[in-house]
Amino acid sequence: MDILTSLLVVAFAALIHASFQLSVSVLTMLSGHAISAKRSHATLLRLTSSFIAGTKVMTLLLVSFFAIVLFDVFGEQPPQIVWATVCGILVGLGVAVWLFYYRREKGTTLWIPRSFAAHLTERSKATKSGAEAFSLGLTSVLSELLFIVGPLLVSALVLISLPSMWQLIGLAIYTVVSTFSSLIVWGLVGSGHSLSRIQKWRETNKHFLQFAAGSGLIILGLYVYVNQIVSVASGSL
Amino acid sequence: MGHSVDIVKRGGQRESERFLRDKLHASVVSACLSVRTPAGQAEAIAHAVCDSVIGWLEGKPEVTSHDLRLVAAKHLHTHHPDAAYMYEQYQVTM
Repeated sequence: MDILTSLLVVAFAALIHASFQLSVSVLTMLSGHAISAKRSHATLLRLTSSFIAGTKVMTLLLVSFFAIVLFDVFGEQPPQIVWATVCGILVGLGVAVWLFYYRREKGTTLWIPRSFAAHLTERSKATKSGAEAFSLGLTSVLSELLFIVGPLLVSALVLISLPSMWQLIGLAIYTVVSTFSSLIVWGLVGSGHSLSRIQKWRETNKHFLQFAAGSGLIILGLYVYVNQIVSVASGSL
Repeated sequence: MGHSVDIVKRGGQRESERFLRDKLHASVVSACLSVRTPAGQAEAIAHAVCDSVIGWLEGKPEVTSHDLRLVAAKHLHTHHPDAAYMYEQYQVTM
C-alpha cells in the first residue's frame, strides 16, 4: 500500500469511527443539562470543548496503543494472517452494526453495556467542571470500544507500515476525522441551535447512520482484503 | 391533591417513592430550559403541566414512573412540543 492509499484508508476508517454515535449522545446530554442549569455560554463551551478534547485524547491513545502492540509483535510488515483476521473482524462488525447497533426502541439507545450508559447519563447530568467533562470524553470512547475496535485495528496496521513522519500525520488524521461528528454538534450547540432539532435529526436518520457505518466497515474490510491478501497472493502466482 | 400517590420505578426494579410535585416541576422546567425557553415561560409551563398531571393522578393509589412521564410529556406537548420531545428523549438518548 503506498502512502496516499494508506492515509486514505486511515481517513476512511476514522470516518466510520465518526459515524458511531455514543460521543454525540453524551455531548447532547451534557449540553442539554448545562443549558437547563442556566450555566453561562462560556461554561457550556468549556464543558463541551473539554469533552471533545477527552474523546480526541482517548482515540489518540487507543490508536497508538494498538499500533505499538502490533508493531512489537509483528514488526513493520505484519503477516497476511493478521491482515486477514482484521478484515474478518471488520466484516463481522459491519454485520453486527447492521443488526444490533441501535436497540429496537424509541430514541437513539445504543447496544453498549447498560452500566456504562447509566454512568455516562448520570455524570453528564452532574458535571460542572471541565476536568470531569474531559474524563467523560475518555469514558465515552472506551464505552464504544466494541464497535470501534475494527477501524482502530486496521488503522494501526496501516500506520505501522508507514515511515515514522507519515505515522504521525496518519495518527493526526485519524484523531481529527474520528471526532468530526462531535465537532459538528459542538459547533451547532455553540452557535445556539436547538438541541431538540439535533436530537430529532439523529433519531430520524439513525437507521441511515447505522446502515452507513455497517456498510463502511464491510467495504473497508473487503478493500483491505483485496489490497493486502488477494493482490499479494495473485502476484506470487 | 388530597392523598399521596406511590410512583413505581422502572417496573418495580427500584424502590417506589411518593409523588412529589416539586420533582416533576423541576424536570419539566429543565426540559423547557434545555431548548432555550425563557425562565419565566418555563416556570409557567411547568405549573400548568403539574396541575394537569395532578388532576390525572386523582383517585389513583399508585402509578408507574413510565406512565407519569408519558402523561407529563403529553401535557407538555400542548404547551411546548420541542421541550416535550426532549422530555421524552431523556431516558432513550444513549
